[in-house]
Amino acid sequence: MEKSCEEIREMLVDYADGQLLPSDSKKVADHLAECAHCRKMLDALQRSLELAGVVWEDGLAETKEIRAPIHGKVRKIRWPRYAAIAAGILLVVTTSIVWRELVRPAKKELTFAEIERRITESSNAARLLAATELLAEYPDAETIVKEQYRYIVETYPETAAAAKAKLKIQ
Amino acid sequence: MNEMNSDFAADAYQAADERSSKLNLNIFLAELGRLKRIVAGFGLSVQDGEDVLQDVSIKALKHFEKYRNREDSIRWLIKVTVNRCLMEHRRRRSFRRHAQEILRRRAEFGAKSNRADEKAIVVEELEIVRESLQELDDSLLGPMVLRYFCDLNSKEVGQILGLNPSTVRSRLREARMILAKRLLERGVEP
Repeated sequence: MEKSCEEIREMLVDYADGQLLPSDSKKVADHLAECAHCRKMLDALQRSLELAGVVWEDGLAETKEIRAPIHGKVRKIRWPRYAAIAAGILLVVTTSIVWRELVRPAKKELTFAEIERRITESSNAARLLAATELLAEYPDAETIVKEQYRYIVETYPETAAAAKAKLKIQ
Repeated sequence: MNEMNSDFAADAYQAADERSSKLNLNIFLAELGRLKRIVAGFGLSVQDGEDVLQDVSIKALKHFEKYRNREDSIRWLIKVTVNRCLMEHRRRRSFRRHAQEILRRRAEFGAKSNRADEKAIVVEELEIVRESLQELDDSLLGPMVLRYFCDLNSKEVGQILGLNPSTVRSRLREARMILAKRLLERGVEP
């Protein structure tokens, strides 16, 4: 390829696109009239663009099948819907609480005598437990100690001392 | 606005209650045809095209407000679409339909047919060009599609791609020469 061919080829695309100045365009046209190689290149440039157009047009025909982007929307926050759901939940919770209060058996009221009885039992059980634990330090008293623990459990079942005694037996 | 677009508009309007969102959707819908052309120019499949346009529509709703005028918004839309298409192109998901299939579809959909003796040559040529487009560097394919398929001039292409017009021209020259040389190298006489 001659030097002038190289220069011309640099300008061929712009020549084909009509982007050259008239003087340059004439220079290219004059060269093409005499150079088969460059004419071939120009033909190839034009032909390849035509074929690229065929490929592109095929794609364009296919875009008819493209569905519009239905998910490309901003989701609106549906306050009325959320408010209705919240109100529903609140109603269910409130109803269940009220219902429970209505049907639940009334709590037995604690009288002063009952409190006094519990305190007495607790202190008695605690004293017995302390004495039994002292007795447990003697190996010979094992049988008596066990009976004592059992007594505490059976006599004062609701006390903390009874719970401890139960553990000792186990 | 075609039926498909109006369906989308109805759906979208229902969802977007702010005026700006509606305005943005209007611009997106008005440009949908052009955006589809870009998708076609990058040779994406229907599925990939849908994904691209979906992403673009979401971005449009989120980011449009910062653009002052319609022209800027349209330029931005095209830029986002091109970038998203280039992503697919880099993943080699573009121009996957072979020449034979393209010609079969052309014949089926009533596009102009060639003489029988020319047809074999056209398939070969077309396959070379298709492969060349598929292998073209993304820095070259973007300007090619926008200039020759979307009919934008070098200045407009430069504004969209963030290049100056002379760079656009030089990339177009490079891309065109690659395609032409491929045809000649493979012994196909244009």
